[in-house]
Amino acid sequence: MADVTLSDIRKSYGAVKTIHGVDLDIRDGEFVVLVGPSGCGKSTLLRMIAGLETITGGMLKIGDRMVNDLDPKDRDIAMVFQSYALYPHMTVATNMGFSLEHRGAAKTEIAERVNWAAGILGLTDLLDRYPRQLSGGQRQRVAMGRAIVRNPQVFLFDEPLSNLDAKLRVVMRGEIKALHQKLKTTTIYVTHDQVEAMTMADRIVVLSGGKVEQIGAPLDLYDRPANQFVAGFIGSPSMNFIKGTITGQGFAAPGITLPLPAAAMPLAGQSAIYGIRPEHFSLDENGVPVEIVLVEPMGSETQVTMKLGETKTTGVFRERINGAPGDTIHVLPNVEAVHLFSEERGIRLN
Amino acid sequence: MRADISPRAKVGLYGLMCVLLIPFVFPTWWMVTSSIKPISDIFAFPPQLVPQNYDWTTYSKVFELQPFVRQYWNSAYIAAVVTVGTMIISSMAGYAFARIRFPYANAVFMIVLLGLLIPSEVTIVPLFQMFLKAGMVNTHWPLILVPIFGAPSVFATFVMRQFFVTLPAELEEAARVDGLGRFKIFTKIALPLAKPALASVAIFTFLHSWNLFLEPIVFLSSADMFTLPQALTQYTDAYGGPMWNIQLAAATLTALPVLIVFIIAQKQFVEGLAHTGLKG
Amino acid sequence: MAVAQENAHPEGRSSSPFWTIARRDSLAGFLFIAPQLIGIVVFVLIPLGLVFWYSLHEWNVLANTFTYTGAQNYRMLMEDESLLEVLGATAIFSAGLVIFNLSLALLLAVLLNQRLAGIAIFRTLFFSPVVVSLVAWTIVWGFLLQKNGGINGMLLTFGIEGPNWLREETTAMISVIVVQVFKNVGLNMILFLAALQGVPKELYEAARIDGAPAFKQFRRITLPLISPTILLTSIITIVGSLQVFAQIAVLTQGGPGLSTTVLVYYLYQQAFQFHFFGYGSTLSILLFAIVAILTFAQWQMRKRIVFYES
Repeated sequence: MADVTLSDIRKSYGAVKTIHGVDLDIRDGEFVVLVGPSGCGKSTLLRMIAGLETITGGMLKIGDRMVNDLDPKDRDIAMVFQSYALYPHMTVATNMGFSLEHRGAAKTEIAERVNWAAGILGLTDLLDRYPRQLSGGQRQRVAMGRAIVRNPQVFLFDEPLSNLDAKLRVVMRGEIKALHQKLKTTTIYVTHDQVEAMTMADRIVVLSGGKVEQIGAPLDLYDRPANQFVAGFIGSPSMNFIKGTITGQGFAAPGITLPLPAAAMPLAGQSAIYGIRPEHFSLDENGVPVEIVLVEPMGSETQVTMKLGETKTTGVFRERINGAPGDTIHVLPNVEAVHLFSEERGIRLN
Repeated sequence: MRADISPRAKVGLYGLMCVLLIPFVFPTWWMVTSSIKPISDIFAFPPQLVPQNYDWTTYSKVFELQPFVRQYWNSAYIAAVVTVGTMIISSMAGYAFARIRFPYANAVFMIVLLGLLIPSEVTIVPLFQMFLKAGMVNTHWPLILVPIFGAPSVFATFVMRQFFVTLPAELEEAARVDGLGRFKIFTKIALPLAKPALASVAIFTFLHSWNLFLEPIVFLSSADMFTLPQALTQYTDAYGGPMWNIQLAAATLTALPVLIVFIIAQKQFVEGLAHTGLKG
Repeated sequence: MAVAQENAHPEGRSSSPFWTIARRDSLAGFLFIAPQLIGIVVFVLIPLGLVFWYSLHEWNVLANTFTYTGAQNYRMLMEDESLLEVLGATAIFSAGLVIFNLSLALLLAVLLNQRLAGIAIFRTLFFSPVVVSLVAWTIVWGFLLQKNGGINGMLLTFGIEGPNWLREETTAMISVIVVQVFKNVGLNMILFLAALQGVPKELYEAARIDGAPAFKQFRRITLPLISPTILLTSIITIVGSLQVFAQIAVLTQGGPGLSTTVLVYYLYQQAFQFHFFGYGSTLSILLFAIVAILTFAQWQMRKRIVFYES
């Protein structure tokens, strides 16, 4: 187990730069999730840590060793791939023991380690099967077994759940988390799914366009996103953004004035972006009037698309709402949960 | 097109296929049966679809007139060496072209593909001169070296490349993380998975070598060195006319073993062929 | 920018070994292709250069003289009246072979693509000549095609007197084409069959719902979708037809007259029977040019005739 330190890590293909200097300190035993939209560079970053992509610039350390130019095999890492990458021509046991075999481990030791890993992952009865005879979830477990067998310093996961159906994904999410709690191995996990990131991570790294947007604990990112990108990316349904101007009376948006926290008053006069999460609206007779565009009852809650002034926004309410498109209801934004971002660069103001 | 077929159409289709089969199957039948007919019955009228008299001495004459065992061995070992050699060379080259990034890979690939454009017939004259200078005329070296290293193996390389291109990249990456170097990735991961492509390369290469005709008659001059196709044409009488029944007996001995192997392993043959990545 | 980076992490640069991952992989790549590349240079490219060099010379094997004569062999090529006949025979042979081979292969593939019991047996039998030794196959056909051979024998039982197939110009050409087609049509048949099975079934179902009759489905769906395979097989078959040698040597020795003397056979005669190595080399260059032009032309045509590329 080890720390992983990235200092000013860069990647370019010829003249095209894809990673623009990433700094990241991952503590021993931490579960860090790299998240971002496709093309943000999260997989490239992970593959650079693995040694599958060359590092153009900067320094990568695992433990105290600089590993920039080491082969994957010399970095003491294990990786779980999106497609699992199980060797089709080998049994589950051979798949799991393969790396040990190539490190010159004794047969008895390999068998012992494989049995240990199979026991943890519930694969003991499947050891003689071939990958093609396994279900998606079982393959996923074998891929994890292959990773834990040799007790590496770091686990790397590259979107490991994206090939599973929604239900199984939730189950495996729990299993991976539980495995980490048992083994306490430093883990770097890449996903595009912010729900996975929120539920699994000790810390989340949000990436966009090859840059780090924000690093923090899941709820910190949710509560205090550093910029408009992170605000929009974390949380589902996404945060509403409304353009307007901060005034003494509140936030002047097209067709409506919205309440602001007292702390925002010093910013009066600036144009800004007003961010409010759908769940931070409440039904309130004293609120602002909105026109219903669409009502989607979910059972436990109701999602309403509504026109707030001239901006289309989404609200999520605990109550059941009997409204038709065109009706007007009154909603109140929770002023303590209002985020303000600068208009041109999207940086948090309050 | 694949709708259910009416019984009448079925009878028609079977009938049509049976008629079409005649030129594919009858020659082999005719070869085997005629090889045991006495010479007097060879051109009998009406044609004897089943021999009425048997003359098994044709088979002993095959071995008396020429060193046929030796020639059989020549063909077999040359084809075996060429097949194994081609499988090694072309799977390595095909793998590198498909999976390894190295400078000038595309230029090198184009040069190798040139081999497809230049049939060995084009270069037979200089090849003959080269092997003459090297003292290798009337040896089997030209029949071994040229197919393994020259133009004929390019097709095999192409087939292997087409296969390796489809191998998932993550499989190799997993192997790298598991501690394998390039060569071990090739031998432990890529090659075991390439069995279908290797099988079709083996079949093509074997048949190509087994059927070579121009090269043996250009390079070989003594009966001891002959390969089977060349030997078959040598069963002639004093006037140069073919000794039909003996020639057919030798032809049967040449053709039947391969045919039997094919019928036993026909699934691999046909499916391997369809898998060659030739589909377009 | 780059300087600043190096200063920021001097140890990162200086400690990086010469054999980086990428460099080691490049080396591996070169080692993997080296045998093939060296082979191509030694057994294809150098001989190709030599064949051109020889073609500029008059080479007398008996007197052991090798004189530079410039374009003289090429002038001889232009004036060689036999060559005209040879090229004509080559063209007829190749065209006949390709047309007959591809249409028969397609017909067989369509038949084998039907859902009929025992179809695999038919597939095996149609394919079987491919694995029969080429010369053995040719010898049997030569035997069958004799004046008093099996085919004429059969015809005579129906009261038809057959020609002396291999000794008359027209029938000799037809014979060598037919023998060659039946030998190898199985290869193209399998490739077509694989292509036919690759056509999504839904397309036919949609066409049936649209009311398209079977032949129209074939013309409008099947043919366009398998056109890449048609192109590929036609290239392979044409180039292959230009290499046919054993069949001619065994069946007709190029005769009667020059009627079945195709270019490769002519080349062989000139170089290895008459020992005109210089002129033989010139014929080799001609063969190479024809193969190259045909391949190139077919490749260019793919945009026009191939409706669909996967």
